[in-house]
Amino acid sequence: MDRVVRLKLVLWVMVGLAAAIATARFAFGLGATTHLSDATPWGLWVGFDVMGGVALAAGGFVVTATVYIFKMEEYHSIVRPAVLTAFLGYVAVVVGLLFDLGLPWNIWHLTIYWNPRSPLFEVGWCVMLYLTVLMLEFFPVPTEGISALASLRRFLLTLRIPLVILGVALSTLHQSSLGSLFLIMPYRLYPLWYSPLLPVLFFISAVALGLMMVILESHVTAYLYRRKPETGLLAPLGAATRWVLAVYVAARFGDLAARGQLHYLASGAWQAKLFWLELALMAILPLALMSATRFRRQAGWQGAAAAIGVAGVVLNRIDVGGLADIGRGGPLYAPKWTEIAVSLGIVAAATLAFLFMIEHFRVWESRPADPEADPRKLPEFDKVGFTWLGTPAVAGRVKYSLGFVFAAGAGFALLGSPLAARQGSVPAPVHRARGDAGYLRSGVSEAASLGQPGELPRGVLYIDGDLTRYGVTFYHQREIERNGREKSCVLCHHMNMPHDQDSGCYACHRDMYQKSDASRHDWHASPHGANLACVECHEPGYARTSAHVKPCADCHKNLVPAGATIEIPNYNAVSYVDAMHEVCNGCHVKVAAREKKPEIARCAECHKGRLNFSDTRHYLYSPHAPAGRLVILPPPKVSEVH
Amino acid sequence: MTAWIDFARGPLFRLSFALMALGLLRIVLLTLAGVREGYQNSSDKIVAWKEVRRQTLGWLFPMARLWRQRPIYSLISFLFHAGMIVTPLFLASHILLWRNALGIGWAALPRRLANWLTLLVIFAGAGLFLGRLLSPAARKISKAQDFLWPLLIAAPFVTGYIASNAILSPRTYQEFLLVHLYAGDLILLMIPFTKLAHCVLAPLSQLVTAVAWKFPAGAGDRVAETLGFGDRPTWLPKARLTAELPEGAAGKGGSER
Repeated sequence: MDRVVRLKLVLWVMVGLAAAIATARFAFGLGATTHLSDATPWGLWVGFDVMGGVALAAGGFVVTATVYIFKMEEYHSIVRPAVLTAFLGYVAVVVGLLFDLGLPWNIWHLTIYWNPRSPLFEVGWCVMLYLTVLMLEFFPVPTEGISALASLRRFLLTLRIPLVILGVALSTLHQSSLGSLFLIMPYRLYPLWYSPLLPVLFFISAVALGLMMVILESHVTAYLYRRKPETGLLAPLGAATRWVLAVYVAARFGDLAARGQLHYLASGAWQAKLFWLELALMAILPLALMSATRFRRQAGWQGAAAAIGVAGVVLNRIDVGGLADIGRGGPLYAPKWTEIAVSLGIVAAATLAFLFMIEHFRVWESRPADPEADPRKLPEFDKVGFTWLGTPAVAGRVKYSLGFVFAAGAGFALLGSPLAARQGSVPAPVHRARGDAGYLRSGVSEAASLGQPGELPRGVLYIDGDLTRYGVTFYHQREIERNGREKSCVLCHHMNMPHDQDSGCYACHRDMYQKSDASRHDWHASPHGANLACVECHEPGYARTSAHVKPCADCHKNLVPAGATIEIPNYNAVSYVDAMHEVCNGCHVKVAAREKKPEIARCAECHKGRLNFSDTRHYLYSPHAPAGRLVILPPPKVSEVH
Repeated sequence: MTAWIDFARGPLFRLSFALMALGLLRIVLLTLAGVREGYQNSSDKIVAWKEVRRQTLGWLFPMARLWRQRPIYSLISFLFHAGMIVTPLFLASHILLWRNALGIGWAALPRRLANWLTLLVIFAGAGLFLGRLLSPAARKISKAQDFLWPLLIAAPFVTGYIASNAILSPRTYQEFLLVHLYAGDLILLMIPFTKLAHCVLAPLSQLVTAVAWKFPAGAGDRVAETLGFGDRPTWLPKARLTAELPEGAAGKGGSER
């Protein structure tokens, strides 16, 4: 496989994974698919997709200004790729923003309902207008061959200078306004990043990043398409970059000194280390490499310097966007894998679009040889079945689509159940069994006596935990007689509530279908319950989990009666239904095997009469079934809410 | 065992279903793209669209066409296919799973009808399997997988029928359910990558035959060259064909057939 084909396959896999997550995100919302919350509403998608994406697109305005305003015509050959990178970068920003907005379909509100005092208002308008400018700037390239659009193309070309000026103005506003956005939250940002100069710093670093991005993009595509790197042409750009970076470093330290925050640099806090790492990547290392003429004129070093710088500026945006604020006041936020996958997927999609554009239109002076359309290349065969995959173009799309489909399938498999994550499941509380309980203390050996017709006889319990009138008649007295009188109690009553004997199943197995907390944590902690401080059960100095906690028996004696054989592995009680099936049917299975009576282990042994087997199923699947099952109801219609 | 059941019902089912849906969409799109390219590259743009449409619709319900030649086979085959598609889609238990997972549901088959349809699929499948096994002609054109498919497809139907009808112990129920789930997931997973893909490709077959089977001139020669038979005309692979062709036909170039 050619390197372009291999890269495209990887990119399609990333897009496929992101597509699966996107489906779930737009169907079930942010809460069900991300770690974002009301306390941390801005996460990776804002820090990387939006702020990083905007910064990465800075190459567009820097290069157009260089060529058309400063009239450095020698750079004309890199204008088109730079504008294309900027255009796709902004499209990626908008797509990332749609993922991050809670109500993405309201994005047009910005154009009608004005709030001119909001920094986000400026950010939104700048994105919208600059994206339009970029589209108009790039429009002549893909339409070159379409004669019907020739007059429109000519018109746009006459507008080139005004468009370039507009683009520079909007970018200046926009790159800096992303910094202004954070001026309104001084107490959220760490002092090493918060500065009144933030807009200016953002703008300077964007100019440097724009130049480095152009260099990096040129080297990467040169590698991919086996072209000669434009090292000689790019070296002066590197020289310019070093001046911008020098100004940036001076501004950054000058600002820290002027604000009297320099001592934070030596504080040893992890933010200080992050600051040094970030500054080394985004400014100091590229500055050093670009200053040495030898390194600047060598393709490898030139590309490496640009790559380091690009990574550093993106890290800077992520730091300001939230990484440096982790743990400052809010709960800890770490991006969920879905957020990372979507971010990578958007970048991958933009890259694929970029490769498509340079392969099909004259983004460069000459189109690269399409690795999938080389007529001299032999057709490919599937290595397993020796099926003919077709010409390289066909083989390419067979492979890419297969990668996409498998990645999307894996994404859906890994997603979990987003609907359950969003809505939870309907609780189904359990009620105690009905029937004659008074006889229990009066003497276990007393034989069961039959009551009047229509009445429950003595010693018989009617087990109907969810009160649906579909229950099981349990011959309690008869089971006692059969299983060894007094010894039989612990077979079912394997654990008691404090100060109780023979607690009913419902005391711990409190939900029909879900696990319940048998230790009743919240009751113990509540002032209206046991009113205990955390450390009275949880060992101080450890995370407050079940790993370091006092056993119940330290306070409550005789919870587990002597002879009980059912082991309790943790503080969770299984669901009532599972407990019933395990205890009742577990015994029935043993007896069925011992006495060679298989019928007593069948479902119908208990579920009979009104609760016969098929009846239950019919009842449960009917649309009128109560919300007792672990059924997740569809979201209520708007008309039902109001 | 419940953990294995939950895995087959949760992540594994989501994987299989997504791969089935997207995989089928993929092969349909790839096929249509191939058709389009074949049509664009061929010099002969005349296609009998009306005939293609008529044949496609006709073969969707092949009973009328096969009735005269093989009435029993065509009836069994149709019932097998119809039952196999309708029963799992409209079974109340399956719809409940969809309702739990996505909050969507649709009308269910009555339980009794679903039972009969399941039995119908099982016995029709057995009939097709026996037909293939007992008829020498069918046996000759069958590969090993052709005998395995009916058995694999029958597995979830048989286990599903037992699990939902036979009043056995809950443990036995779970065992049958386990086989039911894994067999079902396996079938879903294999649909787009095996001959089961005929569920979406069969309706396209007439179109493909009519349109995409128009090689561009010289295509056959290029394939032969790739395979290392460049010195031979592609359309004369076997000696017995030469007897039927007129003398000198080899000189005209291979792709015209």
